[in-house]
Amino acid sequence: MRTSSMKTSSMRRPRLLGAAAALSAAVLVLAGCGSGSDSGSSGKITLQFSSYAWQDPTVKATKDIVAAWNAAHPNVQVKYIPVDPDSVHDKLVTQFAGDSAPDIIHDEAADIAGFVKQGYLADMSKLIPADLKSAVPQGVWDSVSFDGKVYGAPTLLQSYVVFANQSLLAKANVTAPTDANPWTWDQFQAAAKQLTTGGTFGLGWGLKQPTAAVLSMALNFDGKFVSGSGTSSKLTFGDAEKQVPQRIHDMVYTDKSLSPATLGMSGSDVLPGFFAGKYAMIVSGNYTSQQMVQDAPSGFQWTMLPMLKGTSQAQAADPQTLSVAAQSKHPSEAAQFIAFYDNAQNLAQLAQGDWLIPASDPASKLVAQQTQGKNGWGAMATMGKNLAVAPFESATPYAQWKTETATPDFQQYFANKLTIDQLGQKLTEGWTKAAANG
Amino acid sequence: MAIITDAPARPTQAPPGTRRRGNGYAYLLLLPALLPVVLFSVIPLLNGIYLGFTDSRAGFNQTTHVTGFANYAKLLHDSLFWSSFKIGLIWAFGVTFIQFFLALGLASLLNQPLRMRWLARTLALVPWAMPPVIVGIMWRLIYQPDAGLLSNLLYKLGLGEHSVNWLGDLSTALPAVIVVGVWAGMPQTTVVLLAGLQGVPAELHEAAAVDGANAWRRFRSVTLPALRPVIVAITSLDFIWNFNSFGLVYVLTDGGPAGKTTLPMLFAYQQAFQYGHFGYAAALGNAMVLIIVALLAVYLRRRMREATQ
Amino acid sequence: MNTRTRPAVRVLQYLALAGYLIFLGFPLLWMLTTAFKGPKELVELHPSLVPEHPTLDNFVTAFTTQGLAHSAWNSLQVSVAAAVLTVLVSLPAAYALARFRTRLGSVAIGWVLVSQLFPFILLVIPLFLILKQLSLVNTLPGLVLVYVVWSLPFALWMLQGFVRSIPRDLEEAAATDGASRMQTLIRVVVPLLAPGVVATTLFSFVSAWNEFFFALVILQDPEKSTVPLTLARFVGIQGVVRLGPLAAGAFLATLPSLIVFGILQRRLTSGIMAGAVKG
Repeated sequence: MRTSSMKTSSMRRPRLLGAAAALSAAVLVLAGCGSGSDSGSSGKITLQFSSYAWQDPTVKATKDIVAAWNAAHPNVQVKYIPVDPDSVHDKLVTQFAGDSAPDIIHDEAADIAGFVKQGYLADMSKLIPADLKSAVPQGVWDSVSFDGKVYGAPTLLQSYVVFANQSLLAKANVTAPTDANPWTWDQFQAAAKQLTTGGTFGLGWGLKQPTAAVLSMALNFDGKFVSGSGTSSKLTFGDAEKQVPQRIHDMVYTDKSLSPATLGMSGSDVLPGFFAGKYAMIVSGNYTSQQMVQDAPSGFQWTMLPMLKGTSQAQAADPQTLSVAAQSKHPSEAAQFIAFYDNAQNLAQLAQGDWLIPASDPASKLVAQQTQGKNGWGAMATMGKNLAVAPFESATPYAQWKTETATPDFQQYFANKLTIDQLGQKLTEGWTKAAANG
Repeated sequence: MAIITDAPARPTQAPPGTRRRGNGYAYLLLLPALLPVVLFSVIPLLNGIYLGFTDSRAGFNQTTHVTGFANYAKLLHDSLFWSSFKIGLIWAFGVTFIQFFLALGLASLLNQPLRMRWLARTLALVPWAMPPVIVGIMWRLIYQPDAGLLSNLLYKLGLGEHSVNWLGDLSTALPAVIVVGVWAGMPQTTVVLLAGLQGVPAELHEAAAVDGANAWRRFRSVTLPALRPVIVAITSLDFIWNFNSFGLVYVLTDGGPAGKTTLPMLFAYQQAFQYGHFGYAAALGNAMVLIIVALLAVYLRRRMREATQ
Repeated sequence: MNTRTRPAVRVLQYLALAGYLIFLGFPLLWMLTTAFKGPKELVELHPSLVPEHPTLDNFVTAFTTQGLAHSAWNSLQVSVAAAVLTVLVSLPAAYALARFRTRLGSVAIGWVLVSQLFPFILLVIPLFLILKQLSLVNTLPGLVLVYVVWSLPFALWMLQGFVRSIPRDLEEAAATDGASRMQTLIRVVVPLLAPGVVATTLFSFVSAWNEFFFALVILQDPEKSTVPLTLARFVGIQGVVRLGPLAAGAFLATLPSLIVFGILQRRLTSGIMAGAVKG
């Protein structure tokens, strides 16, 4: 024990110091010491599993999965370590640097890209069982693959969708689109204009974090932003990329159908206004359904519309992931647990808890069946097919470009401080700068 | 207290002020603080300072090279660094200045024999007692454009439906976070100033009052001079703290909108934690230390002079 | 104090004080009323200050789902240990820094400065590595030590300011009376420092109670979570906040510090009175 050596060495020194040292030693002893080691004697190992599962049902589902695994695998125990979603990245950076990362890491595709480059995650290509491999669409696998190797198992996905206040739609004589016949952006913009009356904006959009939303929806018009890979990647801001930001800008400043104040809010900040009829529609992640069900005033009629269409309904897939730390001593056991976690039953439970889209097809079918398509689950079960990898996600400069360039410049553009061409120029310059930094 | 009573009494001890014997005592008194400080503060600090002269990056088995002043040359041309530096100065001066005057006023009031003073003293501490994680979230909700407390206050005062996005608007974001900064730091400054005020011997006041000095004159000629060491200490610390402030603004705005509230430490955090540029971030830390020391130099020289008197 | 204050001035003083208290205290009040609101009331566009349908559900949720009580116990241990250790270590050191001019003294002042100036966020990783070497990662004692060192610069700076404001004559008078240095320290200096000691204790207690980032990276086991970590778990993805339970938990988390202060604030006055009598 560290404390005893501290104590003895100070004994020879004057009593003043001795007393203080003894006191600190006493505190050390008092509060108990040492952390448990991760492997016991009799071949039993313990895997640490850090997870940012948040909604109560998801946390419960996660605990149930861990408990079921532990009951079936007495020699490979999994310890569940909850983290709050905002802190996942910071905690991992520190733990990776300190060689203390958990064996199994719950994160998301856009975030693991950086860790993969830094070599902190294990290549799982050979560890993923064939049935899991075939259950998840290739486009989703691509979003967790780098240089042909897989670094995470996708679990749940989100997409950006339009929620509408049904009574306001009816009042303005706007007919909601159907799955077979989704709104195009033009129709959507026209509807927003039609819904805008004295005290009501047609649309509220919590675009506090504009980059991910704009880049993801840009795929509607085949706007890819990035071509090439690694540090040699290039950013283009052409007509296709201009579509979504330009349309948002038009809705704010030309049509005045999109509330400018909402652009700086987060998705959930917009909800009170939506419930109060201040905004007839909002754009948000599909998981917002959960808050609609839970918080909407009684009698409030809401509906989740099919994904918007440009030339297609495509959006970027940024799945939540489970990865194995490169520092883990038991990668294959960790991967076995991940495969178990990712099976259809478990994933269906987790998806319903978080109101997200399961990454695997069997799990989607199971969700549709279990929910009987209610509360928008019918639409959600089919959304997965529109989600595929976007080239920006795995490009090296993305993280820095997003923080330093894209987010501030989109904000400036939406605040009408930049023209679309100035925006394009800044975005391109910022990419070059971030690429130079590696 | 156990530490001090534990030490043997020495009746033949020389009076305070004699230098040679005094030094031995000084070291003895400093030692208990030294061990933890060296282990958990000095070593990480030296490590951090050293990293500023390397190309250290996050990465598994990454090798690090000493690059001398390369990071600093890059810093000089980094426009984002300079803009964050400017924002940091506005923020630190603004918050420290407003905070000090508000806190001095509050401390003086709390030093008066007012009724329910204990309750007022306790309530004045609310911002400090609240976990910073919560402070950020709460003020975000207060500033929220729709259902926020501030917008609702305007609404209920009959000023109409204002959807001002205080934290999201390019022009109001920095002032809005400065208000939160002042709010959050008030108690610390007030408590220290209050304790300082109570250290002003009452006899001095009474003597001045007998001489016919009015309240303001007594404050200027008696209170302020006696309070000066405490004022210098707390304002320099406040300035340093505010300049180094991170958590509050991180939760409130994360540096946005459009980088208008990206304080230097937020910039350093992004470099280190988001992009893994440890060396560059540490270089930025070193540069900050130098710049702030230079800014404080005048202030501190005055302080040192007082100390030697 | 026997200087008289005119009634008009008194009224103004009370008004000013009320203004201060509203500014500083209203978030607490708001948090309290929020804690009693149900989910539907929390998303109203124009919420009322007083809950229309008060409920205790949020408090129940705060305690049952996240184990707030257990985190509070962890936090209490850590904060008390950190506060006591900080005072014990910084009091003698502050006296030495204020009264003697040693080389170590100026080094110490330099360190205080640099440690406060250098971005703490960049020290997290080096510190983590040292704690790991000492097997103190994922332990509450490790966290205590970090908090002590973390509070020390401020404690030293503040206490030595207080020592300086004590007239040397007092000590010298005691010394010529034949008191030893230690007796002088205990009988003359320490009582006069009482307000400073109270402020230091309070400062280290509160900063330990509220600290988030070090606790986040050092602690692993959910059973060891401190209060801020537990509260942070009420905040989800994309800024979604479970406001009701968060407000309930946050209100309760704010209380201990306020209570400690409510008790200790009287010492601020009595300490100085005792010092004046003895002096």
